[in-house]
Amino acid sequence: MAALIEAFGLAKHYLAARNLRQALRGERRVVRAVDGIDLLLEKGESVGLVGESGSGKTTVGRLLLKLTPLSAGQLSFEGDFLDRMDRARTQRFRQQAQLVFQNPFDALNPRFSIRRSLAEPLRNTGVDRAEHEPRIAEALRLVKLDDAKRHLEALPHQLSGGQLQRVVLARALVVKPVFLVADEPVSMLDVSVRAGILNLFRDLKERLSLTAFYISHDLTLVRYVCERTLVMYLGKVVEDGSTAEVIRRPAHPYTQALIKAVPRPDVDQPRESLPITGAIGDAANPLSGCRLRDRCPYAFAHCAEVEPPLVEIAPGHRAACHLHTKAIT
Amino acid sequence: MAELLTVLSNPPLKVRGSLLKVEDLAVAYRVDGINVHAVEGIDFAMQAGATLGLVGESGCGKTTLARALMGVLPTNARITRGKVWLDGVDLAALPEAERRAKLWRDLSFVPQTAMNALDPVYRLRDQMREVLCKRGGLWRSAADARAAELFSAVGLDPSRLMDYPHQFSGGMRQRAAIAMALALKPRLIIADEPVTALDVIVQRQVLDTIRGLSTDLGLSAIIVTHDISVVAYLCSIVAVMYAGRIVEFGPIDKVMREPAHPYTMGLMNASPDLERAGEDLVPIEGSPPSMVEPPPGCRFAERCPFALPACGEAQPPTMDVATDHRAACIRIDEVSDLRAQAREASTWRH
Amino acid sequence: MASSVATPLAPAAGAKRRRRKAGVLLAQLRDPYALIGASIYLSFLLVAIFADRLASYDPTEILFTEDGGLASALPPSPAHWLGTTNLGRDVFSQLVLGARPSLFVGVTAALAVAAIGTVVGLITGYLGGIVDRVLMRLADMVLGLPFLPFVIITVALLGPSLRNIVLAVALLLWPNAARVIRSQVLTLSQRPFVEAARVTGASEWRIIFVHVAPNVLPLSFLYGSIAVGWAILTQASVSFLGFGDTGVISWGTMLQDAYASQALDRGQYAWFVPPGICIVLVVLAGFFVSRGYEELLFPKLRDE
Repeated sequence: MAALIEAFGLAKHYLAARNLRQALRGERRVVRAVDGIDLLLEKGESVGLVGESGSGKTTVGRLLLKLTPLSAGQLSFEGDFLDRMDRARTQRFRQQAQLVFQNPFDALNPRFSIRRSLAEPLRNTGVDRAEHEPRIAEALRLVKLDDAKRHLEALPHQLSGGQLQRVVLARALVVKPVFLVADEPVSMLDVSVRAGILNLFRDLKERLSLTAFYISHDLTLVRYVCERTLVMYLGKVVEDGSTAEVIRRPAHPYTQALIKAVPRPDVDQPRESLPITGAIGDAANPLSGCRLRDRCPYAFAHCAEVEPPLVEIAPGHRAACHLHTKAIT
Repeated sequence: MAELLTVLSNPPLKVRGSLLKVEDLAVAYRVDGINVHAVEGIDFAMQAGATLGLVGESGCGKTTLARALMGVLPTNARITRGKVWLDGVDLAALPEAERRAKLWRDLSFVPQTAMNALDPVYRLRDQMREVLCKRGGLWRSAADARAAELFSAVGLDPSRLMDYPHQFSGGMRQRAAIAMALALKPRLIIADEPVTALDVIVQRQVLDTIRGLSTDLGLSAIIVTHDISVVAYLCSIVAVMYAGRIVEFGPIDKVMREPAHPYTMGLMNASPDLERAGEDLVPIEGSPPSMVEPPPGCRFAERCPFALPACGEAQPPTMDVATDHRAACIRIDEVSDLRAQAREASTWRH
Repeated sequence: MASSVATPLAPAAGAKRRRRKAGVLLAQLRDPYALIGASIYLSFLLVAIFADRLASYDPTEILFTEDGGLASALPPSPAHWLGTTNLGRDVFSQLVLGARPSLFVGVTAALAVAAIGTVVGLITGYLGGIVDRVLMRLADMVLGLPFLPFVIITVALLGPSLRNIVLAVALLLWPNAARVIRSQVLTLSQRPFVEAARVTGASEWRIIFVHVAPNVLPLSFLYGSIAVGWAILTQASVSFLGFGDTGVISWGTMLQDAYASQALDRGQYAWFVPPGICIVLVVLAGFFVSRGYEELLFPKLRDE
């Protein structure tokens, strides 16, 4: 059975800003935000994509939602290629695939009441007027904003961050999508408020059998809600596998650093230095061979020559690091 | 290194010895003709060399408190009550000019958007010079040397002083802002959400920088954050704030291992932990009360699973749990029992 | 699981929202500038509406004194509050009825400028590309035209009616509004809620006019207010220079008449000073109201 979403060799390149000298010389700076990614999302799966800013993870989300055109590669949804969809199919896709935004404070039109923001997707996907009220009520119930009367007439600035994010989620769910992309859904919320939203995601996963794609720089989010996780660095996937595996036995130095870097609510947490130093590389000028090698303490000669391929190091667990490929060969 | 901690309890202890002592501080805003009592009844003291974590959710007043200490409240806010002693000196007793001078010399503030507050059209070296020469009175060469020293202290390559802010990444800009805050050798640095907007690896680098400054240079710091994990990583003492008041105060290990206030217990349950991801997170239901007309009794009573009718009647007094650990809860003598109950998820679902 | 959100901060949001809207309007009025400006507008509006009742005479009627002579250049008196013109017309009646064409020009021109400027700003800001380039170059060209001479030429070519003056003013002032609104739209288009509208299936046109437009309306209003003043001033200038519609008595024609009759030399201050003051007041009112609306444009976040 085909997966819901199949992507091969996804790539997205942007032309970057140049300074005057570069422009006069006719040099082009190409930012390879996403540089060749394969992705398979089965129906009902919750998959996480982890990476820092500049890793390309947000761009992947936008590609999957047809918010920006592909530069290369193939991407299909329910078997239909995204870049070849006609108007009608695209309209239907807009009902099937939804997005939950990072910034709850800015994801809703500041001049629309909550009711209006929730009715808008229904209106745009041609849902019958009579259906609007019940669907809105149901969506609010799903996100546990039961006190609907109070909230429906409110304007966004009257609600708290946690409430707003629930409304954003409700707006995504009101059209009964089959695919949901959540881009850093809790990063702008207080830590104490995140709990509620994360539980909500878990709950919805069971109830609605949605296929969900969570993009985050925070591993704790994906640990709570995703069965499978991919880790990205500078446009490429460096590790993927079941979330439990990736977190318990991270194979790639970058993943190891991400895990060690997360502070925990524990006084006795280890405070050792991270294996990764420095800052994220330049996406317009990635290094030859492995892109992480200037920050990686284990880098050796081979890392500069050949880019490590993504290979299976354990069943269902892949990593792109020469430390492992060497072990295999 | 054992850190001496001085904590106010009834009756108040002597001032000598604390770097910063705050007594019964209250701050109010005036918005559209209405008074909003953002912060009330703040009592604490901290020793030199300590790192105090001020933790609480948005709107609890922690930023207001930080700004009040620094003397940079917005124009529609005022300190309505209380005293602040810095190095044993009562700040309110000083004439305005002296007070301002002392604050600027001894305290340094890194506001929430510090990394965006760097002037984009000047090189970092020039911005450092501005602080060091104009306010610090150093000659240019001395200023440059100190700037290089400061950059190294925060883990930045001194050669990058010649760069413009936009050439730095977010984390580097944050560290540059911290370097600038350290320029005039403050006794105490107050950082408001220093790592909130940063990615996890960069966040860790900045946290390690601050920790390094604390252990190597003996820098005292107040870290304002909503993330208890950051406090656990970085701080030696913690003040948990809720709805404008400090509800629990004490050494980080005591407060986190043996929380005494129900809110702290709730915060521990609600904070995600990578190691324990199998368990459900338990949110604290409800939201904080209005600060325009705060309820007469304990402000957390509405959301507290252990609330009694008496809780709503009067403000709970701050009581000692252990020698240097105190909480504002009338059920403090049952704390072990409450703690055990708090670990059950069912307690928190009303 | 019980509802996890109790909101003591947003009780009965519907009523709250109505109160909030009223609150916003009242907030404008609390600002002294807006208050003064709005009062001036209101006064003149009332004068214009009730002009018929306020004026004691027909403004064009040549009046005669009791003994049969021309009631020419009479000083202010109980019968003629501001005296009469050289031709024996009542100045006060002229002033009061002259409010109508002036306000008509002001308001219609303001609406036209705001409408055209907003639509152009929305389209160019959101769509960009060739549409943006063409329209903005057009705006640049219009901005290069000298204002008054162009109005005069238009009026000379099309005829000296009030409608043509409004047309000329609208054609010349829309670029100012368009450019500023375009900038605002450029920023708004980047915001997540616009992308959200796209994700939920809204067509581009719907996004422009239903989602983005309400957020730029304060600016449109601002430019409209400014245009009122300019339009009235233009109409007065054009009339003063003799290119206006001579059949219609307006403040501008009063000034022109006074000038031609050498009222200054003769010290007939009551003739030309009032219309001048009226023009100044209305233009000032426009600026005051727009200054008061700064609050609306740059609202400080309020904790409710």
